[in-house]
Amino acid sequence: MTVRPLSVLIVEDEALLAMELESLVEDAGHQVVGWATSSTQARKLIDDIDADIAFVDVHLTDGPTGVQVAQYAAEQKRSMVVFMTANPKRIPENFAGAIGVIAKPYTMNGLLSALRYLEEGVHRPPPVSDRPVGFTLSPDFAAAWMPQAN
Amino acid sequence: MQKRTTRESPDDWHLTDDLHAETGKGDPFAAAVRATRMAMLITDPRQPDNPIVFANNAFLTLTGYDRDEVVGNNCRFLQGPDTDVEAITKLREAIAQRRDVNTDILNYRKDGTPFWNALYISPVSNEAGELQFFFASQLDVTDRKDSEIRVRADKERFQRAVKDRTMQLEERTAQLEAALEAQKTLVNEVDHRVKNNLQMVSSLIVMQSRTIPDPSIRESLRTMLERIEALSTVHRRLYQSDDVSRFDIADFVRDLVTDVVAAYGRQDLRLTFDLQPVDIKAERAAPVALMVNELVTNALKHAYNGGGGVLRVRVASRGPLAEIEVSDDGAGMNGANGDASFGMRLIRSLSRQLEAKVDWVASNPGTRVAITLPIEPGTPI
Repeated sequence: MTVRPLSVLIVEDEALLAMELESLVEDAGHQVVGWATSSTQARKLIDDIDADIAFVDVHLTDGPTGVQVAQYAAEQKRSMVVFMTANPKRIPENFAGAIGVIAKPYTMNGLLSALRYLEEGVHRPPPVSDRPVGFTLSPDFAAAWMPQAN
Repeated sequence: MQKRTTRESPDDWHLTDDLHAETGKGDPFAAAVRATRMAMLITDPRQPDNPIVFANNAFLTLTGYDRDEVVGNNCRFLQGPDTDVEAITKLREAIAQRRDVNTDILNYRKDGTPFWNALYISPVSNEAGELQFFFASQLDVTDRKDSEIRVRADKERFQRAVKDRTMQLEERTAQLEAALEAQKTLVNEVDHRVKNNLQMVSSLIVMQSRTIPDPSIRESLRTMLERIEALSTVHRRLYQSDDVSRFDIADFVRDLVTDVVAAYGRQDLRLTFDLQPVDIKAERAAPVALMVNELVTNALKHAYNGGGGVLRVRVASRGPLAEIEVSDDGAGMNGANGDASFGMRLIRSLSRQLEAKVDWVASNPGTRVAITLPIEPGTPI
């Protein structure tokens, strides 16, 4: 399957996790176009770079501000957000406009499957792959991407 | 005490006074007023300070005064220290406005004992509409009043007790809720850290293995990553439900096996699940996960020898026991079934920890591995 590369923003306060995510994303043939550790930096990146996907941790260096970052991206209609968090319970019911959440700790395969799934979903929705283990869609995207499941 | 006489027509109250010696003769109404057991008196508002001009025997009996102590005085001598000011005001206003009035008022006898007086006062006017006097009747309602007061006091005491108890309970509930909230926050925080740290451990291994040229060392690191990821999958599932103490093997096995098979990129393998929910204690989740991971990765590495096939995974409960089965239809007993391998040692040790039994059954074609473990520790198999 040919990969149409996704441009990816990483919004993650743990350097180690950001590093590994960057490697995995690039190994999968996609491109990381920016890394932010706080909501302020993230908003600036969202303004400056119209990426396909932003992976956003709920907890950032300036507090549990990831949800606000997702809200901002949704308002600006830039960068579709996927939460990546060890605390999925903090995500509001409407997911603040995000596609869904990859729960930490994810497996390497879990993340690669999620990237494939997102690539399909972003470029020609709905995705044809199965929804990866550990990936939860927001109610809006579940309705759009998995209508048969509802 | 000075005997008062009216300054006006003698057919007023003097007529009845004249009847004093001969009760029942003369004016029958006057006789009735004198004889009734209902205390009654008459006052003359035309005289200064509206004095009593007549009191019947019942009134004297009720209050303990003699007639000459009563007649000529204003009724207020019946009031005492605990008489309700509001009741007095009510009477005073009605008399000033020449209206009917009735009220329960605490009065005092000559000997100082109090009694509740159901007092009725009415103005009486002549044909010309001029106020002649006030007529008052008194009824001792102390018994009724006392029981009213007792009932009210009981009710107030009861309400106060209920209110106090409610407040105590609300305080206690608030304390418990706050404690529970603090505990939840703590569990969430610890859970969050465990998950993040597991993610970091995985990340370190993934990044480290990139720098290693030797394929066999990379393979070892990959096996290590798989085991850590099995624990990650446990932790992702662990606190998803509100009951943090239980863990469903079936949900977990579906996640783990799906992920591992996908990670091996084995599109030639068909995966079939036969899963029945089996809840175990959360602290048994990690060893179960590691065992299942060993069995599945073992089958993927050794059973199929490059060919396709079917991998069956079954989870069921049988009474107090949980059963987990991994079956392949590959090339028979696989090569890793030797005690030397670390994976086998891991399985043996974990099964001891779980008090589990592991059966390896050659089932031509392929191998079936069945783990039987007690759902609650200590149950014999």
